[in-house]
This record gives sequence, structure tokens and C-alpha cells, in this order.
Amino acid sequence: MGILDKNLSLRNRNKMLIGVWEDEDKLIEATDAMVHSGVHIHDIYTPYPVHGLDRIIGARRSRLARVAFLCGLTGFILMTTMIWYMYVLDWPVNVGNKPVRFTPSWIPVMFEGTVLCTAYGMGFFFFWRSRLLLGVKNDLLDERQTDDRMIMAIECNEGVNEADVLNIMKSNGAVECREMSHGVQTTI
Amino acid sequence: MGHGHHIEIKQETFVVPAKGKQFAMILMILGLILAGIGIANIDRNAGAHDEHTKVEAKSHDSHEAATAHNEHVEHAVAAESHEADAHAEHANVPNEKFGPRMEYHPIEHPWQTKIWANLLIAGYFFLMVSLCALFWIAIQYAANAGWSAAVKRIPEAMFTFVPVAFGVLLISVIIAKNDLYHWAHYEHLHLKVGDAGYDKILDGKSGFLNSTLFFVLPIVLVTIWYILGRRLRSLSLQEDSAAKGDTTFFKKSIRTSAILAVIFGFTISFMAWFFIMSIDAHWYSTIFGVYNFITHWVTAITIIALLTAYLKKLGYLNIVSDEHIHDLGKFMFAFTIFWAYIWLSQYLLIWYAQIPEEMYYYQIRFEEYKANFLGNLVMNFCLPFALLLMRSAKRNRWVLGIIGTIMILGHYHDVWFMVMPGVFGPGMQIGVLEVGVFMFFAGLFLIWTLTALTKRGLIPVNHPYIEESAHHDVGV
Repeated sequence: MGILDKNLSLRNRNKMLIGVWEDEDKLIEATDAMVHSGVHIHDIYTPYPVHGLDRIIGARRSRLARVAFLCGLTGFILMTTMIWYMYVLDWPVNVGNKPVRFTPSWIPVMFEGTVLCTAYGMGFFFFWRSRLLLGVKNDLLDERQTDDRMIMAIECNEGVNEADVLNIMKSNGAVECREMSHGVQTTI
Repeated sequence: MGHGHHIEIKQETFVVPAKGKQFAMILMILGLILAGIGIANIDRNAGAHDEHTKVEAKSHDSHEAATAHNEHVEHAVAAESHEADAHAEHANVPNEKFGPRMEYHPIEHPWQTKIWANLLIAGYFFLMVSLCALFWIAIQYAANAGWSAAVKRIPEAMFTFVPVAFGVLLISVIIAKNDLYHWAHYEHLHLKVGDAGYDKILDGKSGFLNSTLFFVLPIVLVTIWYILGRRLRSLSLQEDSAAKGDTTFFKKSIRTSAILAVIFGFTISFMAWFFIMSIDAHWYSTIFGVYNFITHWVTAITIIALLTAYLKKLGYLNIVSDEHIHDLGKFMFAFTIFWAYIWLSQYLLIWYAQIPEEMYYYQIRFEEYKANFLGNLVMNFCLPFALLLMRSAKRNRWVLGIIGTIMILGHYHDVWFMVMPGVFGPGMQIGVLEVGVFMFFAGLFLIWTLTALTKRGLIPVNHPYIEESAHHDVGV
């Protein structure tokens, strides 16, 4: 499960090369060039969704939709069980001589429960996964990646030519290049 | 957004393909034949029985029973049972159970009325669908939406069907008003308080449900919507020949759309109240207008999606991609849920409160039309909800086509189901007449829309957001 993936933390990784952009068009060009030169991009962090970027770096489809479905299903089952327990098992009440079994009056409870669990579940898992949840130590490469800067991170695995990577970054409008090893960043 | 691969925006001229023309023609001809068979097969003798009951209804006894039923329920029970004893041969129609309609106003021309009722359904359905297509354009402008610019010409073409559909609707109600609507029949009786057969509910509603307002208001409203719609359409055409970057027409379109959206939003319910809800004139439901709007709204979006997929398959709409189809699919999915939400909102309150005036509408539909009642929910909610849940389904033209067809049929059936039990009581079925009438009008609507599409370029090339629409991307 990616949600609990310890490898998500950038601190435990190999040396990282970090490029900083201010302009999304230039970032797209740089990403394009990087992908074409065969360098694997670890990830790109942007303060807002940049259209087309996900396709260029070949990002997989987000699992958030599936999480939402499962949360909704959980809410549905939870609420159905709850109202069945209250209304049938524990304390049957004769309301206007309506039958004490499944009735249309259950539907709003089931519906609202489903919506509630979907919404809260999605919010919770999204923030957890993006390490923005209260109590989860965040892992920002740059404070301004949540504001107005776009960050590209490339892991220096075997076969990555650092000089080439830096060259591509700088020639495509990176305003700053840094390297990070064991959590310490140095400007290059 | 200057990135991504370049997409050339060029004008396209649509030509109705021979196959499409053939398909529409076959639909229309087959529809006519089936409707003819259906008309020939209507049981004309059914009138004899009703003629008889009509005489009964006009007799003093029955009037007394009717009046008593309205004013004093206990007396009514006694009177009813007395009447039931006296005319045991009519006991097969459980009048008391299905509300006041059967009691007061038996239909004078039952078999002709069946034809007019079918035309009412078809006219109303396609009128509302065309109007909702117009409203769709209006909200795209009002919301400043960019992605939809590429498919904008399709709802514009659908909107041109308004006069035809409204004509059919008007013809059917002009001819068969007194049989379709029992308030119209009652109106001619000119009854005063205390008269035999006086109906407090119908009298109370007569300020709204009267022949003058019934014709004047819909004609005025449709004229207003039509004028605003024509303006939107002509602005869109002028924009095509305007200079590149000229946003005058776009701004005018936004203003027109805002006016249209407000007027439409406040007045569309009148159509539902007059033409459909007044069939059950004794009935009360405050959400009925919204319910009718949403039924046709989701149908209009479905038709837009299917036509987009069709044009794409023919090789038109170069700038439209799966992303647009996906968003239209989301629209369908979202409003499928909203339809069910509104359906339940109406049903649940009536079911819970169990007030006789409200309940008989669902009682007849649930007890005498169980298959239709459940089929309505399956076709319009369960199937589309389950099948459109997946992202891949919303992006697949074939899946969308199949679900869309189910939804269009389902919502036509929904309108049928609002009209028929109200007019004729129990025992109506979807027969060849219904199928034939639907096929004929579906074919006519299709060929009309496709022909309207040929009248102008398929791409609004000078729309300020056309570039954004061409690069529309919903992400991985």
C-alpha cells in the first residue's frame, strides 16, 4: 500500500538533484527535455495542478477515486447497519403505521452517511498521502513549493549523469539548482 | 497555456451522411407504421363503457356522492357504499382508491385521447429537451466555462427543434384539452359553491388552472425563451465572421445567457405545472417542476454527449477529444444522481405524510403499474449509476452510447408514466403506438438537429475559449 510507504520520505533516499522553477511553461519544457534524455524524474512538486505535466512524466492515475469508492461503501454499510440496529433490532417504533423493516425513510440516512464518509475519507487520505495531515512530518524540498515555486526532484541512481541533468535544468529556465544528501541541501 | 502539442483550430462544414439520413428516415417511417398499427389496435369499444359511466356520473346520486366525499368523508363512505350496491356492474373500477379523477370526469373520447396523449408526451418531451439544450449553452456562458466551447454548436442545433415540438404539444392540448385535463372539463360546468358536483380543490385552483392562462402563459414564455435563444444562436454565428480576438459577441452572449438563465430558472416549472401536473389537478407536489426539469436536463446532456460521439466517429470535431466526452459523461452521471435525489424527495415526503390528496398519485402508480414504477428507477438511476461509475466507461463512446440510449428511453418512459396513469387510470401499457410515436419524433428530432448543424460551421472558431477547449485535459 502506497499510503503507508516509508520510501515516500525523501530523507531516506540517495542523493537528490533539485531544480526550482518560477514559470510553468519553462518547467514543462524542462520536463519534456529531461524525459527525452532518458532521466527518470522522481517527482515534481507544484503549488497548483499544471496541465499536461502528469502525462509527460508518465504519472500513474491517482488512486483517490478508488479510495473514495471504498470510503463511500464503508459509509453505506455503516449507516445501513446503524439504522437497522436502531430501527429494527433495538427499538422498533410505530411511525404512522409504517412497516418496521427497510422503508424509504432509511434512504436519506444511508445517502448522507455515504456522502459524509466519502468526503471526509477522501480529505483524510489525500492529506495523509500528501503528508499534509496534522501530526505527519511534512517533507517539503522547498518551503515555496506550496506557494509560487515548482520543484523537480531527480534521484541520483546508477546511470544518472549529474552534469547532464544540471545542464538540462539550467538551460530550461531553472532559477535555482540544489543537491540534497541525507536531508541537507546545498546550492550548486 | 502555450504548451503541449499544437492543435490546429480550423472550421469544419458538416454534411449529413447518407447513413445518418437513412437511419432517421427509417425511424420516422417505421414509427409512422407502428403508430398506425397502434391506432388501429386501440379498443374503440372501451368508449361504450365510459359513455355509460358518464351518464352515471351526471346522475344526481353520483354528484351527491362526489360532493359528500369532498366535504364529509364519513358521509362519503356511506354514499359510496350505497352507490356501489346500486351500480355493482361498475365496481371493477375502484374509483375511491385512485382519487377523484375517475369519479368526476370520465373521458368522452377515450381512444382518440390516447393518440393525443401520446402526442402530448412526445411534444412535451422534445420541447423540454430542446429548451434544456439552450439552457446548457446559457450556463456554460454564465459560468465562463472554456472546455465546452468545442461542442457548443450541438446544443445550438438541438434548440432549433423548439417550434416543432411546441407546435405538436399545442395541437394535442388544443384538440384534447377537455379529455386530458379534468379541470378543463370542470371549468365548462361553471359550478358555484353548493351546486351538486362542486369541487373545492378545482375551484380553488381555477385562478391558475383556467383555459386562458393555460394557453397564454406557455406561449408567452416559450416566445421569450425562443427569442433569447435565437439571439444566442445569431451572436454565435456573427462571432464566426468577426475579427480574431474580437470579444464583443462573446460579452453579449454572456449577458444574454445571464438573462436567459434567470428567466428560464424561474419559469420553466410553468411548463410542468400546466401540461403535466394539471393532469392530476387534485394533486399537490411542490417539487414537480424541478423534477420535470431534471428529467429533461439529463436527457438533453445525454443527447449532446451521444451526438458529440457520433460526430467524432464520423471524423468531425477535430479538436474534441476523449476529455470532452469524459466531461459530458460526468455531467450525465452527476445528473443521474440528481434525478434520483429529486425523485426521492418527491416520493419520500408523500409516502411519509400519507395525505390522501397527495398519495393517490403514487398509489395508482405503485399498485397498478409496479413494473413501470420499478423500471423507471432501474432505467434512470440504477443502471446509469452502476455503469457510469467507472472512469473508463465515461471515456468510452460505445459504453456511453448504450447507457445514453437506455437513459433517453428511460426518461421518455418517465414522462409517459407521469401522463398516462393520470389520464386513463389503471391498465395502460407501453404498446406499438407509444413506440411508434417515440420513433417518429426521435427520427424527426435527429434529422432536424443534423440539418441544423449543416447550416453553419461546426467549430466556433472565434470563440475566445476555443483554444482552451481544444487543449482541454482532465488529467491522468
